[in-house]
Amino acid sequence: MIPPKFEYVAPASLSEAAAFLAAHPGDAKLLAGGQSLIPVLKLRLASPGFLVDLGRIAGLSYIREEPASGGKPGAVAIGAMTTYAEIKQSALLREKCPLLQQTVAVVADVQVRNRGTLGGSLAHADPSADMPAAILALGGELKAVGPKGERWIAVGEYFQGMFATALAPDEVLTEIRVPVLTGQRSAYLKAARRATDFALVGVAVRLRVGKDEKCEEISIALTGVTDRAFRAAGVERALQGKRLEPKLIEQATADVVQGVNVMGNIHGGAEYRAQVARVYAARAIAAAK
Amino acid sequence: MLNFDEIFVTRNWFGKPVRRDKDARFVRGEGSYTDDLPMDCLYAAFVRSPYPHARLGNIDTSKAAALKGVRAVVTGPEVAAATKPVGARAITRPAVQHVMATKKVRYVGEPVAIVVANDRYLVEDAAELIEVDYEPLRVVVEIDDAMKKDAPLVFDEAETNVLLHDTLTHGDIEQAFRDADFVMQEQFRVQRFSSTPLENWAMIAKYEKSTDSYTVWANDQQPGRSIVNLCNALGIPANRLRLIVPDSGGGFGIKLAIWPYMVSLCVVARKVDKPVKWIQTRREHLLAGTHTPDCILDLELAMKKDGQVLGLRMRDRQNDGSFVHTAGIYNLIKFANIVGCYNIKATQAEMMSIVTNKAPTVQNRGVGKPAMMFSLERLMHRAAVQLGMDPAEIRFRNFIQPEQMPHTTPSGEIYESGNYPECLRIALEQIGYKDLKAQQETLRKQGTYIGIGLSASIEPGTSNLGYYYTSRGTPEYMGNAEGAIVSMDYDGNINVLLGSVEEGQGHATSVSQVIADMLAITPDRVTMNQQLDSVMSPFMGHSGCYSNRFNDVEMGAVIMATKKIRDKVLKIASHRLGVPVADLRFRDGTVYSEKDAGKTLTFKEVATLAYKQVLLLPVGFEPGLKEVAFYKNDIAKLPNKTDFNVQMTHANSLHATVVEVDPATGMIRFRKYVIVHDCGRQINPGIVEGMSIGSTVHGVGTVLLEEFIYDENGQILTTSFVDYMKPLAVGLPRFEVSHMESPCTTSLLGTKAVGEGGAIGSLAAIGNAVEDALTPFGVKVTSLPITPEKVLRAIRETKVI
Repeated sequence: MIPPKFEYVAPASLSEAAAFLAAHPGDAKLLAGGQSLIPVLKLRLASPGFLVDLGRIAGLSYIREEPASGGKPGAVAIGAMTTYAEIKQSALLREKCPLLQQTVAVVADVQVRNRGTLGGSLAHADPSADMPAAILALGGELKAVGPKGERWIAVGEYFQGMFATALAPDEVLTEIRVPVLTGQRSAYLKAARRATDFALVGVAVRLRVGKDEKCEEISIALTGVTDRAFRAAGVERALQGKRLEPKLIEQATADVVQGVNVMGNIHGGAEYRAQVARVYAARAIAAAK
Repeated sequence: MLNFDEIFVTRNWFGKPVRRDKDARFVRGEGSYTDDLPMDCLYAAFVRSPYPHARLGNIDTSKAAALKGVRAVVTGPEVAAATKPVGARAITRPAVQHVMATKKVRYVGEPVAIVVANDRYLVEDAAELIEVDYEPLRVVVEIDDAMKKDAPLVFDEAETNVLLHDTLTHGDIEQAFRDADFVMQEQFRVQRFSSTPLENWAMIAKYEKSTDSYTVWANDQQPGRSIVNLCNALGIPANRLRLIVPDSGGGFGIKLAIWPYMVSLCVVARKVDKPVKWIQTRREHLLAGTHTPDCILDLELAMKKDGQVLGLRMRDRQNDGSFVHTAGIYNLIKFANIVGCYNIKATQAEMMSIVTNKAPTVQNRGVGKPAMMFSLERLMHRAAVQLGMDPAEIRFRNFIQPEQMPHTTPSGEIYESGNYPECLRIALEQIGYKDLKAQQETLRKQGTYIGIGLSASIEPGTSNLGYYYTSRGTPEYMGNAEGAIVSMDYDGNINVLLGSVEEGQGHATSVSQVIADMLAITPDRVTMNQQLDSVMSPFMGHSGCYSNRFNDVEMGAVIMATKKIRDKVLKIASHRLGVPVADLRFRDGTVYSEKDAGKTLTFKEVATLAYKQVLLLPVGFEPGLKEVAFYKNDIAKLPNKTDFNVQMTHANSLHATVVEVDPATGMIRFRKYVIVHDCGRQINPGIVEGMSIGSTVHGVGTVLLEEFIYDENGQILTTSFVDYMKPLAVGLPRFEVSHMESPCTTSLLGTKAVGEGGAIGSLAAIGNAVEDALTPFGVKVTSLPITPEKVLRAIRETKVI
């Protein structure tokens, strides 16, 4: 509860932040909203020499529409330091990408939502966090800025394991771009012992149903089940092009954790998590359609 | 119970939901807790064992001691050498334990060294530099393992891990089982949990070199006894210890045994020239010393076919962890409440206090009653189901009837009043019981599983201390008593000092209501100094805020002291006004003659006479207006095995709830929750309602969420609020609270226990409701907590939660 000694630095620009990271390999941690990092420090589970506060860098908090251009479809761009509360209140997201709002609505509690950021959650990559499931279901890409400049990482390649991402140690996640969901429906359903807990299982779904009531497009991602959020590709395939009848949904979601190494801990053993994943996947699809 | 016409001169405040203005400072952040005291302190931190059971080797403190700003490092063996061992209370086997680890560590988190440094951060860094050699020993974690022949011994000198083993029989238990048509039996398991007050343990110790004495500030919940324990451990007379208890942020029993840490702090304070502060972290709080013991209860009911219970046998095996001071206490309190609300004529209780390599246990809200009532009320529910009888009906048939009050239980507990059948009738009405069964059937057809649960429980108050000496000879403490000082100041206002410090129960408001009606003033003219200072406050060996004793002995002392003040005010006024006392009356802070309205004195004028114009007092009359009174409840019996009472007041409550269980996920949701509570007369119904709900929320946590989980190696896995899950407001039902009012005949105001009811009665109500909901799946509830995972596993495979 009493953190070890660290130094606090507040760079004024991204390049300064990246340079600091490069100069202190393994000994500097980026501080965004602090909702995960500060508890880790207080429990002395980590003892970085430096906290690099991104809060003083201008231009990392925004939600704006990026029109289609150069063959790229339209997207919503979200600055990495945008808080859950800001996402919740965004009229643009309500119209263009409600899944993000459906998800942040059940993240922890009001205090965490006021401080916690989308970028912070994605960079931390907690295996039970809500946002990774939503972002995976949405697709899109993430911008990383490092000493060598910027690069874009596809969402599908971003999560690499428990607390592990495609970000290099000296890179800063600065923006998340998600597609505009016009004509799609979505839902995020979270199973948790208590309202503010991390997800025991969280399921994000977006789908488009055609005029003949057949599912033309579906994307399902789960969190809390294994070491990272993942797309339920098998379930998606089983439902693609079909009418989303309850029976079919049940059959398809029965295999939602097939091939997945389901984790277990005191909040829920592997067998239990697998069952809840099946039930919640089915319910999330039903809720979205 | 006193005649209200004698005790009160007005009836404007007693029994009204007076707003707790006196406590507004707490919610404004203006409380003055131990950590807020404006003192220049050094900081202490404890080095704690990572092993559950290990021989303690060399402790190398050199690196820590060399750190700049570190002022003292003292090891467990050094503290032990300077202090006397911890005294045991209930156990009968020899077991020697010091306030810190000496030769071996017995649980993860046991303190092995204490460091003092200039600041809080530095002291934590220094603690990490202390190197301890441990030689791990075989570990014993669970009750069954501790009782095995070749089990490792937690205390070698005890030659067993069962430190208390006693069987108490009352009534003709053999006959009861011979007469029974059948026997209902079941084994219940209740987990380790705790009430986790907002403020953790906090203390400051200062050594006064000039007088070779100590001053300690601490959020101690039982200061009367702690002073004794502290002096014994340090080997000093009581006049060399001053204990001050400032504001305390929640207690629930969890701060009843913080004194071992006070001992360690005094030892280090002697080595440095400044006060030393220790503020426990939440991790430390969850890790070591705040647990309710887990237990296995085997219950047998000797029953007739008509539902009547003739006798009750219990075998209680309790995992008391590794603290000899409290071991065995829960056993005896369970036993004392064994018959609950029922007229059961014969009981037999076999009790075992078992030590293991789990953390120490301490009294937690309800002490033993939650597990006892859970088991008894679960078994009553199952008996009803077995008989094809309505669970309400089996209770009606066994309740002690109102006309049988006062009722003495087989072991000698005296239930002074109560109307249990009426409580149940109100609850059934409130919850809409008649329609629920039909609704349940309809919903089941639609795939929705609701269950109805009832629970009737006793909520006793005011411990008759010494009950745990039934196995040990003459007790050091008996009965229960409290002291109060009531004074009228220059302005005719009232100030109160009590021997106990509340932890948030609103005592200042309740006291002000009673005094206001005793003196015909408004409560805002009454202030209570909400702290204890052992050189100024009146206190007893019993003093402390525990066991629902406030509205009995604490209020008793306040009333007695206020009566003395009132009598003195009357005598002074009588002399000054030339009016006989019999003709004097009180109104709006004045004394006046009933016969001559012109003859009147304000309290301020009376105070002026008492404090300043002393020559106007009668010759030989003692000046001043400050009175001390001590009060004891005389219903307490001397402890002995055949006839004794563990508590002196007996409130009761009826909990009824409707839950819905999702059979696909095992998740449980409340649909309705009704509480009918009878705590006799209520001083402040607003406070009573808050406590009824608050204690029920603690119960909800116990049933559904909270558990200190140990792995098979004795490591505790739940040392943060992420893993040790408290209930949140979201997910709770809207509690509908109703009241019965059966005045207590043995407390001055007719009041009974208030603070623990929900933590006792809710467990079985929810457990019964869950089992009822899962009837189509044939699932039985025998253990807590009822987690969704356990529910699902039971539905699919085991059939037992």
